[in-house]
Amino acid sequence: MENMTLLDFARGPGLQWALWIFCLGVVWRIVGAMYLLGNKDLSKARRTNYIRSGLRAILTRSTPAEAFEEKIRFQHISGYAWHLALFVSVLFFAPHILFFESILGFSWPHLPNTIILFSGAVATALLIALLIRRATHPVQRLISTADDYISIAVVLLPLITGLAAFAHIGLRYETMLALHLLSVELMLIWYPFSKLMHAFMTFPARYQTGTFFGHRGIKA
Amino acid sequence: MNSQTTRALEMEAALEQIEPTIERKGLSDDERVERAKQAFLRKLDGRKAVDLDTCIHCGMCAEACPFYLTTQNEKYAPVHKYRLLRRLYRRRLSPMRWLYKPFTPDITIDDLREWRHYVFDACTGCARCDMICPMGVNVSSLIRIVREGIGAADLMPPRLQRLKNEQRDKNSIVGVDGEYLRNVVATLNDQGADIPLDKDGADTMLLTTVTELRLFPTALAANAKILNKIGANWTMYTDAFEAANLGYVAGDTKALRTATARIVEKAREQGIKTVVVGETGHGYQTLRWLGANTMGERLPFDVYSILEVVAQAQADGRLELKQQANGSSVSYQDPCRLSRKGGILEQPRRILESMGYEIRETEVHGREDYCCGGGCGEYVLSTGSKLRHKVFDLKRHQFEDAGADEVVTACASCRYNLLIGAEKVEWDTPITSLVETVAAHMAD
Repeated sequence: MENMTLLDFARGPGLQWALWIFCLGVVWRIVGAMYLLGNKDLSKARRTNYIRSGLRAILTRSTPAEAFEEKIRFQHISGYAWHLALFVSVLFFAPHILFFESILGFSWPHLPNTIILFSGAVATALLIALLIRRATHPVQRLISTADDYISIAVVLLPLITGLAAFAHIGLRYETMLALHLLSVELMLIWYPFSKLMHAFMTFPARYQTGTFFGHRGIKA
Repeated sequence: MNSQTTRALEMEAALEQIEPTIERKGLSDDERVERAKQAFLRKLDGRKAVDLDTCIHCGMCAEACPFYLTTQNEKYAPVHKYRLLRRLYRRRLSPMRWLYKPFTPDITIDDLREWRHYVFDACTGCARCDMICPMGVNVSSLIRIVREGIGAADLMPPRLQRLKNEQRDKNSIVGVDGEYLRNVVATLNDQGADIPLDKDGADTMLLTTVTELRLFPTALAANAKILNKIGANWTMYTDAFEAANLGYVAGDTKALRTATARIVEKAREQGIKTVVVGETGHGYQTLRWLGANTMGERLPFDVYSILEVVAQAQADGRLELKQQANGSSVSYQDPCRLSRKGGILEQPRRILESMGYEIRETEVHGREDYCCGGGCGEYVLSTGSKLRHKVFDLKRHQFEDAGADEVVTACASCRYNLLIGAEKVEWDTPITSLVETVAAHMAD
């Protein structure tokens, strides 16, 4: 009964509060940054097709320029692999799709559980590898803040609890499921206060850098 | 040792003679810190907020920075260089500042003194980091603000402080003033150059630099030859000829404005329509891209690099260049502020090809070219000399691998730094100027 209460909380008010904090926090953070506005560049533009320059940067920054590729290959590949594995696990696991359907009202095809298990394991392993790199690489160790480590931890928790619940490891299933949901809620609450916001900020940042350099006639 | 190397060494010795200025008295540590913070806050706008909020601390920018690559010193990672700015943003401006502030250390005077080394000695603002960031963060613009904060606190390297004060107060740099220009021009005109000084009724004014006047007056003569050949109605003004802007270099925005205003006001007073900037990277940038923003209004004239003038004149058929006879190959050194930050990437290559040169590109070139190591005042700093020679060596290896007969550049600072570096390691590949090469190939 106690476990069911925890699960009820996780599925009910816990989730609702987490989603509210997530949504309001994200909007607050984006609007707050935009509110600062920017000074208009008064120099005469060499190229005025700003939208094209911005969109180009959004696309081109998805892969490193040839001159840099060799030096950042590990981070480039592991970064892509990590995000891909995460999205596969989150978006194509049948119970997750049922959950999204209950909120969104529509669903989509799911992938076999073995693939989900594999992608979840890959995502977990990669995130741990990236955590180790952050703690040991001289540059990353120097520049890392508590936000960097906490963010990794709050993303790792749903992965680990999800894998444990899936594989029936550890506590009984209902408890693991409740912990899994609570860990997701923790991540949602942490999200707007942390570097996880990069998911919303990356494209605007790429766009504005594209327009900045496009103004000067450079394809960035 | 050729004459230009001798002059470069003489200039290096002259720079060494500059008495270091003791940190200005009268400012308390608290005042310095407050000045730096105010300078940061003035420049922190929505774009910078997005940049700072987007950085995920991946550290990839380090792999683009020539100072990190040649030293493996993690403190030279570009992301670390703007750390002070990030701290202030999180304490004072971030929408989440109420949460971040207790966990984010304030900026101290010791921080400013420590970061002075990172943003002056170990950064030329070459912006290579801007090109690698997968998040699209404009890294160099953030580091630039840190330089300006340290400048506002009057903590810039003493030698730069002296030089920018000299330019601000006396309109001269290392003694190169209007009289110095007059003497150089008299000598060049005696040798056949036709450089009009302080001419009324001109619609084009040419800017040069202290480096060009002291070391490479032949480049000034080459500029003149080109402008005369294409029939420009041009002149130089003895009270507004300097493209170098030590205020920009030193991170002093007031001195930057003073030097910019001299040019803008002179041009306005004389009804100038076009300003041509000789071979300089930062001089071009401070007027072409920063000039209007510095003055707070659109400039009443167009600004072109001499490279753009040559390329346009060739396209219009006003300038024909002869083919070089001996089948030489060249590597082009892209000055950061002309290429990556200026958009002049194709023109120099087209010009060189039009003269029949085989261009042997370095392994990385153009938008991703390595800095010469001496940009943005770096070559003036004794504190940065070891670092810039390491970066020069990186560059030298790139040139050696390319295997060209000579290196051509279009920035007097690059040229100076490459000459000094070459002299120290007895590297004998000729280092020449693009504009001088053009002048030598002009059809009669």
